[in-house]
Amino acid sequence: MKYNPKYIFKCGLEIHTQLKTKYKLFSLSQTSFGDSPNTNVSFFDLGLPGTQPKLNTEALYLGLIASKILNCQIQPYSTFDRKHYFYPDQPLGYQITQFYHPLSKNGYLKLNEKFDGVDKTINIQQIQLEQDTGKKYNDKTIDYNRNGIPLIEVITDPDFENIDQVQSFVKKYQTLVTHMSVCAGTMETGAIRVDANISVNDNSRVEIKNLGSSGEIVDALKYEYNRQIEALENGRSIIQETRNWNGKTTESSRSKEDAVDYRYVPDSELPVIRIDESMSEDIGKELPELPDDILTRLTKSLELKYAKFLLNTPELLQYYDEFNHSDKNKWIFQELLGQFSKLDKQFDSNIIPPKTLQEIINLNCPLSEKRNVVREMILNPRPLSEIYKQDSPNINIDQLCNDIINKNQHLVAKLQIQPSVLQSLIGQAMKQTRGKIHANIIKGKFIELLKL
Amino acid sequence: MKRHIVKNVQDSILNKCSYRKNNGGLLSGLKYTCKDNIVTGNLSGGILTTASSNVLKNYQSPFNAEVVKLLYDSGAELSGKVNLDEFGMGSSGLNSAPGPTLNPIYPGKIAGGSSSGSAASVAADLCDFSIGSDTGGSIRLPASYCNVIGFKPTYGRISRWGLIPYAQTLDTIGILSKKIDTIKHVYSVLNMYDEKDPTSLPEELRKETPETNKERLIIGIPEEFILEDISIDVKNTFKQFILKLINLGHVVKTISITSIKKALPTYYTLATAEAASNLSRYDGTRYGSTNDYDKLDQNIIFRNRSEFFGKEVKRRIILGNYTLSSSSGDHYLKSTLLRKQLAKEFSKNFNNKHVLFQDEQFQDKCDLLISPTAMSKAPDYETFEKRESENILNSYINDVLTVPASLVGLPTISIPINGIGIQIMGQFGDDKLVLHTAEDVINNF
Repeated sequence: MKYNPKYIFKCGLEIHTQLKTKYKLFSLSQTSFGDSPNTNVSFFDLGLPGTQPKLNTEALYLGLIASKILNCQIQPYSTFDRKHYFYPDQPLGYQITQFYHPLSKNGYLKLNEKFDGVDKTINIQQIQLEQDTGKKYNDKTIDYNRNGIPLIEVITDPDFENIDQVQSFVKKYQTLVTHMSVCAGTMETGAIRVDANISVNDNSRVEIKNLGSSGEIVDALKYEYNRQIEALENGRSIIQETRNWNGKTTESSRSKEDAVDYRYVPDSELPVIRIDESMSEDIGKELPELPDDILTRLTKSLELKYAKFLLNTPELLQYYDEFNHSDKNKWIFQELLGQFSKLDKQFDSNIIPPKTLQEIINLNCPLSEKRNVVREMILNPRPLSEIYKQDSPNINIDQLCNDIINKNQHLVAKLQIQPSVLQSLIGQAMKQTRGKIHANIIKGKFIELLKL
Repeated sequence: MKRHIVKNVQDSILNKCSYRKNNGGLLSGLKYTCKDNIVTGNLSGGILTTASSNVLKNYQSPFNAEVVKLLYDSGAELSGKVNLDEFGMGSSGLNSAPGPTLNPIYPGKIAGGSSSGSAASVAADLCDFSIGSDTGGSIRLPASYCNVIGFKPTYGRISRWGLIPYAQTLDTIGILSKKIDTIKHVYSVLNMYDEKDPTSLPEELRKETPETNKERLIIGIPEEFILEDISIDVKNTFKQFILKLINLGHVVKTISITSIKKALPTYYTLATAEAASNLSRYDGTRYGSTNDYDKLDQNIIFRNRSEFFGKEVKRRIILGNYTLSSSSGDHYLKSTLLRKQLAKEFSKNFNNKHVLFQDEQFQDKCDLLISPTAMSKAPDYETFEKRESENILNSYINDVLTVPASLVGLPTISIPINGIGIQIMGQFGDDKLVLHTAEDVINNF
């Protein structure tokens, strides 16, 4: 992306993030995704007469966690308000949101060169809790399953000076909310949606609504930056308006003059949320390790790309942290993950738990044999004891196999032309060990010793 | 006005039904009617919940209001859904899509509203009691015009789950009957915390609420309620009422609550703003009346709302949206502050402590406050309509005596004394004293 030095890019974001709760924000409908239309709706979700909202405290808690990880000041007093506009996907005729007194304010997220590729602090104006809307199903039907799912809206200051910063921020934000289990999905699943406000040289700002992927954000901002420059170059002024991204261009959807007056009013059905300082501190104390701290820790002994890989694969990160060995990078990345990928299998920590890997390493046998055990376990998952009989410590497989080779030189000589005689050698070893050692391990040993 | 089409009084009042179980409960054997802005589930006979609006002309609720459930469990029989001013908006009983409610005991007079059918069904002996709702006087005014008792409890005592909101910070479910005894029994059944209603008074607060328990009461008359325009017969009856209280051993004195003067504009600012918001959901796209459409969009919403709301409802929605619009200033906020001020001022005049305020205890104040319920007896249709057509505010002014207790959430009862309604108001939460005193006065008159 080339920036014209004569035109300064400025951008701020509004990020809508679905919270990972069991129930909706104000009703006991489930929040599950992908269900048949209108199966997760309660009386309140449909706006039936005589129903009332009930605040889901799980959503409130996740909102507070998000506030903490974005370094926001949790407000001692916050309230819900109604934002009015008519649309069929909005059953109440208003959205319940936080306008006058949001949940938290004045935060920031730091981007750093080392982990994010750019040094920049983005300030956060506020975080508010609100309801998601329904979704158009077809011309005559709305699917209200999504209606009432809890969202947080995170509003940044217009601090972004270029698109790289926007991209890094969105990436980091997604990692944060996913890692902290605040949000279940990603932009790709529609769980995170972004509105971007962009201006050049402090002219009027234009809002681009509902950007659904990192790629869309980049493309839409590039297009809009160039569109605004072109307009200014041709002596036209930029009008304050809302535009939509259609995949190729941004198109005007409404200008300031015909903007909706949302007629905000406090929602007196819902209680005031009071969070005193000690509660707010307690939430800070309960937080798990943050992504940047994890990366800092991991990069002491790992390359950044491996560290990021671990961070984005929580199951593996947990494995990595639980497994203790002086050579743990080699064992996890080369031996364990190497075997999984060689065999074209998905990593699964249950197949070889950290404790089992430890036991395999401690086996009194050469590395090649340990590799065979790992391989065998992945191919045909079962307990270590069934693969490698540790209760026969007197059996020295090396010696046993060497003895058999020496006594059966006539068979060994045939091996080149008749590979099946290997089975006969294995059979003898099995007989002598009375099946205590798995055939595959013995086979591996013969292959090693005979350099087959 | 469609009233000339209505054939008979009873049809103008209720839609009959029967919903009960015989369980020997506290209220078994009693019949009641229910204002049609309180939802009833799938009762036999296809009884709908319409709020007397064409918007909900065919609306069948899938669930029962909490009050309907409690009454069913205690053995009372729901015998009809009754007429009202559309969505509770009106003080006459005339603003109703199916037609006005006729006054069964004073032919030619209005029944009062908005719980017009509730008061009329009690007056016409169609039931033992009726469940109504009171936002700014909607139980007390028709009770007074139909010569029955109407009780509006403290805000938060009776669950609003299933009451179709008009102005939710004011809406209160209450009871109308000819017998104070019946009202007390029904109240004891309905006075329950309900977790489904976020504004229901929590158990702890119910326990903490002090009750006045003494024989000799100090009763105050706010001088702001003694208005010049009050009719002679109301004034005379009110005087007799005061004398009776003194005879019964109570002390009666005049007090002043200056904020009462601002109560009416405060009320209409808040109530219409809340109404505009609450009624936003009636767009015909999920339930209720709708025009045909090929595509679900805003246009069908605008068409439905323009066509199916009544005139007075539209007027209040427009007033409310004006208040809420960004260009009108901060009237809603200002009114909220005035309301708080009014609540404080009321509370300072009671001996009993307000359970929601941290104020110090006051002494030598009042245990109860009294005033007339209405400016006059029920006016006749022609007079009412003429005044309303001269200036729409004339019908709003009617609420001047009832609105203050609504804004403050006080338990208030209107009792008929020689055909005139008199209001008794208690401290927030002191419902029992209000009921007990009403019983005492009624039995001694």
